[in-house]
Amino acid sequence: MARDPKYDVLFEPIRIGPKTLKNRFYQVPHCIGAGSEKPGMQAYHRAMKAEGGWGACCTEYCSIHPESDDTSRVSARIWDEGDVRNLAAMTERLHHYGALAGIELWYGGPHAPCMESRATPRGPSQIPSDFEINIHPRYADKDDILELQKMYVDAAIRARDAGFDIVYVYGAHAYLPFQFLSPYYNKRSDEYGGSFENRARFWRETLIAVREAVGDDCAIASRFAVDHLFGPVSIEVGEDGARFVEYCDDLVDLWDFTVGDIAEWGQNAGPSRFFEENHEKPYTGQIKAGNHTNKPVVGVGRITNPDTMVAIINSGQFDIIGAARPSISDPFLPRKIEEGRPDDIRECIGCNQCISRWEIGGPPMVCTQNATAGEEYRRGWHPEKFSRAANAEKGVLVVGAGPAGMECAMVLGKREMSAVHLVEAGKEIGGCVNWISQLGHSDGKENLFRGTARGLGEWARIKNYRQIQLDKLRNVEVHLNSRLSAQDVLEYGAEIVIIATGCSFATDGLNPATHEPIPGADTTLDWQLTPEEVVSGTKTIGERVLVLENEGYFMGATIAQKLAGQGKQVHLVTQAGDIAGYMEYTLEAPMLHRDLHRLGVDIHTHTMLERVEPGACHAYNVWDTGHKDVFEIDTVVLCTQRISDDALYREVKADKARLEQEGIEAVYVIGDASAPRMIVDSVFDGHRLAREIDSPNPAMPLPFIRERRLWGDSSNDDFEGQLQSTPDVLPLSQLGEGIPA
Amino acid sequence: MSGILVLAETRRGELRPVTLELVTAALALKDAAGGRVVLAVVGDEPAALVGALAAPGVDEILTVAAPTPHFEAHGAQQALEALIEAERPDLVLLGHTIDSMGFGPAVAARLGLGFASDVTRVSWDGGPIATRGAYGGKLVAELEFPDRERTLLMLRAGAYDPAEVGGAAPATRAVDVAFEAPPTEHVEFREVAAGDVDITKADFLVSIGRGIEDKDNIAQFEDLAEKLGATLSASRPLVDAGWMSNARQVGQSGKTVQPKVYLALGISGAVQHLAGMQKADTIIAVNTDPDAPIFGVAHYGAVADLFDVAEALEQHFA
Amino acid sequence: MKIVVAVKAVAALDEEVELVDGDTAVDPDGLEWDLNEWDTFSLEEALNLRDAAGDGEVVAVTVGDEEAQDSLLACLAKGADRGVRVWDDALAGADPLAVARVVAAAIEREQPDLVLCGVQSSDAVNGATGVAIAAHLGLPHVAVVKGLQHDAGVATVERELEGGLVEVLRVRLPALLTIQTGINEPRYATLRAIKQARDKPLDELDLGDLDLDEATVSAAAGARVRRLRHPEKGEGAQMLDGSPAEVAARIADIVKERLSG
Repeated sequence: MARDPKYDVLFEPIRIGPKTLKNRFYQVPHCIGAGSEKPGMQAYHRAMKAEGGWGACCTEYCSIHPESDDTSRVSARIWDEGDVRNLAAMTERLHHYGALAGIELWYGGPHAPCMESRATPRGPSQIPSDFEINIHPRYADKDDILELQKMYVDAAIRARDAGFDIVYVYGAHAYLPFQFLSPYYNKRSDEYGGSFENRARFWRETLIAVREAVGDDCAIASRFAVDHLFGPVSIEVGEDGARFVEYCDDLVDLWDFTVGDIAEWGQNAGPSRFFEENHEKPYTGQIKAGNHTNKPVVGVGRITNPDTMVAIINSGQFDIIGAARPSISDPFLPRKIEEGRPDDIRECIGCNQCISRWEIGGPPMVCTQNATAGEEYRRGWHPEKFSRAANAEKGVLVVGAGPAGMECAMVLGKREMSAVHLVEAGKEIGGCVNWISQLGHSDGKENLFRGTARGLGEWARIKNYRQIQLDKLRNVEVHLNSRLSAQDVLEYGAEIVIIATGCSFATDGLNPATHEPIPGADTTLDWQLTPEEVVSGTKTIGERVLVLENEGYFMGATIAQKLAGQGKQVHLVTQAGDIAGYMEYTLEAPMLHRDLHRLGVDIHTHTMLERVEPGACHAYNVWDTGHKDVFEIDTVVLCTQRISDDALYREVKADKARLEQEGIEAVYVIGDASAPRMIVDSVFDGHRLAREIDSPNPAMPLPFIRERRLWGDSSNDDFEGQLQSTPDVLPLSQLGEGIPA
Repeated sequence: MSGILVLAETRRGELRPVTLELVTAALALKDAAGGRVVLAVVGDEPAALVGALAAPGVDEILTVAAPTPHFEAHGAQQALEALIEAERPDLVLLGHTIDSMGFGPAVAARLGLGFASDVTRVSWDGGPIATRGAYGGKLVAELEFPDRERTLLMLRAGAYDPAEVGGAAPATRAVDVAFEAPPTEHVEFREVAAGDVDITKADFLVSIGRGIEDKDNIAQFEDLAEKLGATLSASRPLVDAGWMSNARQVGQSGKTVQPKVYLALGISGAVQHLAGMQKADTIIAVNTDPDAPIFGVAHYGAVADLFDVAEALEQHFA
Repeated sequence: MKIVVAVKAVAALDEEVELVDGDTAVDPDGLEWDLNEWDTFSLEEALNLRDAAGDGEVVAVTVGDEEAQDSLLACLAKGADRGVRVWDDALAGADPLAVARVVAAAIEREQPDLVLCGVQSSDAVNGATGVAIAAHLGLPHVAVVKGLQHDAGVATVERELEGGLVEVLRVRLPALLTIQTGINEPRYATLRAIKQARDKPLDELDLGDLDLDEATVSAAAGARVRRLRHPEKGEGAQMLDGSPAEVAARIADIVKERLSG
C-alpha cells in the first residue's frame, strides 16, 4: 500500500551539519540497560529501529570518563579502544540500515556516584547531588575545567572513530554542562560563575572544542533542558533557556530539547497517567516559536500519533520528531506509515516499564507493548518477523484473552499455526486491561507541579493493538461470551491447550508480609472490596475508607486516588517503607504523591492490619508491634496480593490418561494464571511461549545469550597491558609452585 | 403506458419522507424516460394522503384501499403487481426500506422485472442505469437492465432530496385490487426500550472530538445528544484523556459504527477515526478547520464554531 | 422439523483491488471469503429451533464456487446436519434474482417446514434474495425479523422497523423469514466440530441437477453490471454556509429527513 500524502512531510530529509537525516523520525538518546558492555544488545536493539525506518538512533547517555560512572544504572561508556570496538558494532549495524548513529557524551558530576570506578566526580560547586545519597563532587578549578573539557574532546574523537555521525554535548537532565549554567548548582565567583555568560562559558567552550575536534566529520548536537522546572532559582525557558539557545546557536548543528532534570525526570519522560501526548510543547515549543534558533530542533513528548507528528512539523514546533518510548514500543513506526498501514502501529502506553528497569539498575529493558524490546540479540526476536512454527498443523486452544492470552494467540497466528482459537469468557477481549484502564483518575484538578491525573486510558492500547492484529489473522478465531469448563477444554479438539485465565485479588487479606489471611478480612461482605469491585461499582463505598496496599505497585495507591477524588476520606496503609514502591521506578511516584497529598489521603507506612471489624481496622507498627492504632472506617479495600485463577489448569492437566485419549499433547499455563505479575511480564510470557511453541520443551524457556566475559578468552590475556601498570597480584601462569593441599 | 410509477410508503397512516424523495428521482428522469409520472398510495385511508403528495410534475395519483389497517407485505405485493399490470410503467420506484424489503423483491421475481436495491442514483440511457455500492461500499457499481420491459428499483432513503409539495393536486383515481386473505396477522406495535449504551446499534450518533477543548464542555454535548434523541460518541483523544468511556469510542481501536446519521462535532478526522465511521449513511461534520480531513468523507460539512452550532441546533428539537 | 438456511460466502476486498473484464468484475485474487454475518444468526436460530423441538434437520444451502465451501463447512461445524452447494460457471456474477431462482429450486427438493435467510449480505447488501426466494417458492414471508417464537406450526415474529419500533405478527408455516443480526448469540464451533464437519453430508449440485439451465438463469436475472469503479476520493462534503443558526437549521432538516426515511 502507498503512503498517505499527508505524511509526506515526515519523510523529507533535513541537513544537520555535515550529515543528512533521511527523514524526521529520530530516536533520541534513551537507556536500555546495554551500554558498551552488552554490545550485542546495544547494536541489535538500536538497529531494529533503523530497520524500521528511524533516520537516526542514539546511544543512551555515554560516559566520557570513569569519573562519570552511574553504576548500578547502566550507561554506555567510551573510555577506551575496547568501548570503541563495542560501540562500533552499533554504528555498523545502524549504517547497514541507512540510519545515522548518535552518541550522547555525558559527564554526570555528583549525580553519578562512581560505585564501580570509585573515582571522584567533579562539579562547578561542591554541592551534593539532590537525589543521590551522600555524593559530593570535588570543586572544579580551572585546571579541572580544562581536564574535563579534554575528556569531552577525547571522547568525541573516539566517538568519531567508532563511526558515530552525531556527537552530543549532553547537558539536559542537569548533567555537567547544565550544572555550570544553572545558578541552582553553580555558586562560583570566577569567570565560570555569576553572570549568564560566565555560567554558559563551560558549555560554550566545550562545544567549541568538540566542534573543532570532530565538527567536520560529525554533526554536533546538544541536549538542553530549556526549562529546569525549578522556577527562577534555575533555568527558565523564558529567561536563560531561550537566551542560552541563542548564545550557542552558532556552535550547534542540532538542538535536542527537554525539560526538567534527572531527579524528577518523570516531568520529561512523562507517564501517560499524568501527561498527554506532546506534553513538553509549552516549554520546548517556545524556542522555535520565539525565533531563538536557526538550527534544526528535535524534541519529545511521547509522540505516538502520525497526525500529531505532522502537526508538530507543519506548525513549526519542531523540525524533527524525537522519540524514545514510541520507538521502543514500535521500532517499525516509520515503515508502517511509509507503507500506508498506520493502523498497524503499536502505540506506546506510557507505562514507563522500560524506564523502571533502568532505574532499578541492571536489568535489561522491557516493554509492555513490544515483548521483543531487549530480546533482539539475546533471543533473536524480531518484532515484525515470525518464523512459521514447525508444528503449525497442531490446533491450539488459548483459554482467556487477557494480555498473556491475546499476545500468545496473536504470535501463534503470526507464526502461521493452522488453527488458533482464543476463547474468552467475557464479552470482550482484554482481560484485566479493561478494568485497569478505567482507573487513574482522581478529581480532575491539576497538581501544584505539572501533571493532572488523567487516567490509564492509554493502557487500553494493549487491547486495541492486539484486537486489530487478531482481526487480521485468518487463522485465529476469537470467541467471546464463552466460558469453558474442564470438560469443554478436554473435548475441544485442540492438540495444544494454553490456559491464560488470569488471577484475582485475595479476598481474605492474605498478604506477602504475614503469609496469612487477616482476621476479619472478607470481601464477600458488602463493606469490604477488592480493587475489581471498586471499578465495577457493584458495592456502595462509605465516606471513610481504608485501603490496605501490600503489593508495592500501583493498585492500592490508584484506588486511593480514585476514592479521594470522589471526596472520600481515605487511609492508605502499607507495611512497606513507602506506598507504591515500584512507582519510584516508573517515575510516577512524585506526581502521585502530590496528588494524594493534595487530596488529603492519609498515608501510613510501616503499618499492618492485625484484624478487621465492622467500622474499625486494628493496625500495628511493624517495627514495634505493641504500638497499635485503630482506624474508624466504613469501607475496606484490600490490595494485599493476587492469586492465580488456575483451577481450570489444574483440572485439565490432572488426568494424564484422559489427555492422551483426547489427543491433547500439551497443556501450558501463562501469565497471571501461572503466577500473578505485572502486565509487561504477562505479555512477555504469552509471547515467549508462542515463539517457542515448536521447541522440544516449550514450557521451559530456551537459553538466552548472556553477554559476559568468558575466562580464558584470549582478549583478556594481557593482564599487565590492561592495567597499564605492574600488578602485585599475578595470574596463574606467572605463579611458581602451588601450595599443597 | 410507459413512464414511471412511484409507490408511496406510509406507516400508521402517515406518509414517510422517502416517498417525496422517490418523486424527485422520478421527476428528474421524466423527460429522458418519456411518459408520465404516476404516484400510487396503498393504505387504510389513502385519499387522506393525496394532499401531501401534490408535487408539481406528478401526473396522477392512484389510491388503493388496503385490506388491512396496517402494512402487510403480501397485500402490498398484490397491490403493486396489480398496479404494474394496469399501468404498465417502464420504471417502478420504491424506497429501500424495511417495509419494501418485505415485498419489492417478490414482485420483481414474480413478474420477471429488472431489479436493483439500495440504489443511490438513477440515470437514463435507453433505459434506467442504477448506481449502488459494491463489496460493502468499497466500490461503486453501475447496473443496467437489458432485455427487460420493466424495471423495479428500490432507492436508498436520503439519496435524493424530497420534492416540494404545493399547488393544485393532480388528478386522483381509486384503483380496485382483488386481495387474497393475508397469510400474516398483525398483533401489535411495540417501542423498544433503551439498554446499556451500545453505539453500534444507534441510528443517530452525535460524536465529539478534540474541538470541544475541555472536559467540562462534555455536559453540554450530553444535553445536545439527549435533545436530539441521539447517542453520544467520541473520538479517541477524549477517551485517552479519560473524559469519555471506551464504550463510546468510534474508530479503528474503538467501535465501528454505521448509523443513519453521524454528526461529528470538533473531530478532525484522523485516519483511525474515519475507519470507524466512514460507512455511516449520512455524515455531517462541523469543524473550525476547513482542511480537516473529515470533510473528505462527510456528506455535509460546515466550517463553523461547534458550540454556536450546537446551541442553535438544540432549538430545532423539542 | 426441517429447516433450510440459505447462506452466502461473502467477499471482503483487500485494500488494493484490481478491476478486470472491462471493469465489470474484481480480480478474485483480491478477495477474502467468510460466512455472511447475518447467516450466522439465521443458522443459530435454526439450530435453536431444531434443538428445542428435540429432533429435526437443519440444512444449509448456498450458491457459490469452491470459495464458498469453507463457509458451508463452517455451518456444518456449528451444527447444521447437511450442506448443499450449487454451482455452475453460468452463475458467475449472478444478481439476487438469479440466485434466488436457483436457491429456490434447491430448497424445493428439500420441502422444509421453514426457510431462514439473512436480511442481507455484507458485501452486496441487496436485502432482496430471501424474499425473492419466497416468491419463487410461493411461501409466505416476513423480512427483517429480530425475534422469533415457534409453537405448533405458527411463528410469532418481531419485525424490526426504523426508529426503534417493532411490529409483532404471526405467520403459519411453512414460511420464509429473513433474519436480522442481534436476534440471538451465534455459537462458536470447537476445533473438534470443525474437524468433524468434513464428515457430514455435503452435496454439490449443478444447474442440471436442479432441472435448470443457463437460459432459465438468464431469464430470471434482474440486472447486469455495466461498470465497476472506485468511489471518487475527496468528492468532498456539500458545504453548508451561513451563520451558526442557519447551519444548525440546515443540519436539523437533514437529520430529520435521514432518520425518518
